[in-house]
Amino acid sequence: MDHNTYIPKLAKIIEIKEEVSGARAIKTFRTQFLEDNGFSHRSGQCAMLSVFGKGEAMISISSSPLEKDYLQFSILKMGRVTSALHETQVGDIIGIRGPYGNSFPIDKWKGKNLIFIGGGIGLAPLWSVLNTALGKKQDFGNLSLFYGARTSKDVVFKQELEELKNKMTVHLSIDVEEPDWKEYVGFVPLNILDKKPSPKNSITITCGPPIMIKFVIQNLQALGFKDEQIYTTVENKMKCGIGKCGRCNIGMHYVCKDGPVYSWAELKNLPQEY
Amino acid sequence: MDKILLKKALPQWVKKLQTYRIYAPAKDEDIWTYEAVNTPEDIDLEFLITALSPKKIIFPQREVYFEFNKDDNDNPDIKETIPEDEPTIVFGVRPCDAKALTLTDLVFGGDFEDVYYWKRRNQTILVGLACNTPPSTNCFCLSVEGSPHSKEGLDILLTDLGDKYYVESLTKNGVKLLNLAKNLFTPPKAGDKKDLQKIHAESEKKIKKQIKNLKKVPPKLKGMWDSSFWDEEAMSCLRCGICTYMCPTCHCFDINDEVHSHTPLTGKRIRTWDTCQFPDFTMHSSGHNPRPDKASRLRQRIMHKFQYFVERYQNYQCTGCGRCITNCPVGIDIIEVLDKVRDYGP
Repeated sequence: MDHNTYIPKLAKIIEIKEEVSGARAIKTFRTQFLEDNGFSHRSGQCAMLSVFGKGEAMISISSSPLEKDYLQFSILKMGRVTSALHETQVGDIIGIRGPYGNSFPIDKWKGKNLIFIGGGIGLAPLWSVLNTALGKKQDFGNLSLFYGARTSKDVVFKQELEELKNKMTVHLSIDVEEPDWKEYVGFVPLNILDKKPSPKNSITITCGPPIMIKFVIQNLQALGFKDEQIYTTVENKMKCGIGKCGRCNIGMHYVCKDGPVYSWAELKNLPQEY
Repeated sequence: MDKILLKKALPQWVKKLQTYRIYAPAKDEDIWTYEAVNTPEDIDLEFLITALSPKKIIFPQREVYFEFNKDDNDNPDIKETIPEDEPTIVFGVRPCDAKALTLTDLVFGGDFEDVYYWKRRNQTILVGLACNTPPSTNCFCLSVEGSPHSKEGLDILLTDLGDKYYVESLTKNGVKLLNLAKNLFTPPKAGDKKDLQKIHAESEKKIKKQIKNLKKVPPKLKGMWDSSFWDEEAMSCLRCGICTYMCPTCHCFDINDEVHSHTPLTGKRIRTWDTCQFPDFTMHSSGHNPRPDKASRLRQRIMHKFQYFVERYQNYQCTGCGRCITNCPVGIDIIEVLDKVRDYGP
């Protein structure tokens, strides 16, 4: 029998970190397959996670392919499956199938400055490509990150972000002022206008809520970035992951298979149905 | 290979095929459906269009992907449930429905082959029946590159010549079925061939519904995504989804877990037909819905069939069977919608 992509491979949860608590809780999970199965991903790709008895959810892989010991997922508690994932404990077994979708064309970006722009849980898909770029730092120009969250409590990867400041420029922001916050206050798109990154020889990669992405793109264009210099990821409801179940399409594109990574030059020509 | 089979010899042929599971049209009160044949004498090929196409045999409404089972401290056990070996023949396949399977083949094939679909597809032989008269008043196959005697996707095409069938075997599998009852089939006479051509030509003339200049529709649709046209067309839609559930080419599905017991955890992961006409189809778990209203969902149905599918697979995703027209409770007629699209705007 041919390979059956619908059958998940079993994986053990080896570490769970609570990033954000409360109504919009986020946890980061590290997983290891029970058996070596040749799973190999590229930055930007997603995997379908199973909690048996609850179902599946498509989650972007936040660890870099350079990390061989585990797969990492940072997950916002939202629906049936992500809520069930938040109930799991270290040692529990979940199912993983994939990887699915295209990836960031990082090989095309050699020699360029990379500007990562994330909002909320949108840092998770960026985290993989950001760490891949950091792992091959000599291949690129300057690396920098803009990251914003609603409040300081909603910031994910807090410790990692502090460590990251030693390796690249990091511009953090929160939406509303707080007493002890020393960095920028305001939405991510405004922080970009404030810091004015240069479009010269640069690529921007942005992930976050659709409304943030929309204004980030507008503001990048105002700073002189061309459509080809702006990359983002699209999220839609998915079930199969292989372009057959029919629900994640934008125009003729299936986001699960042809996406989730698009340059704005590509995406602007597709129906804005996401 | 062309042959003649007397109608009264059909049951004898079917008897020779009983190592296969056989489906044929059967009447259930007022509707025709494909049912398993137990007695060959029961096969009745004097049928109108079936309620559902034979798609349901290849791509059933419910497919079990695997069973799962987990005791407290054990790892989950996953048992893949590939369809069993069961060589199958479907009798009385209408040419539009056979063509529809060539379209679902495109979806379930490609770089991720769907093993459940192909297991059933590869073990199923399709014996078609040409439509001497349109089996539905809403037939429009000629408009979507089909015909009432199209051979596309079929292994055998039967044409009713009165007291006999003209039998065209089109594939190795078709020839195999004829060879299982060689003595029943005789070579056609010159007159038979003439009759066949006449009947086929006449059958095309009997199809009254058509979409003129459908070629103009895909490029036209490209500019209509933001149009208020869809609001107007979808106004009467009840969001029942029957247009898609009855469609022989619609392939959208859902995947869910069905739990049979909690301790130990046992259950199944199942695929079921789904439809772009339901709000849940695209609704994110956050509540955000990229297709929030029936206008955007009607637009998706039409654009998928007549623009996106054409761009992706170079075929219309419609074979003109007319089921969506016949079954729509509020009379939304895909022919009228496409006529309006073609003539829309300047």
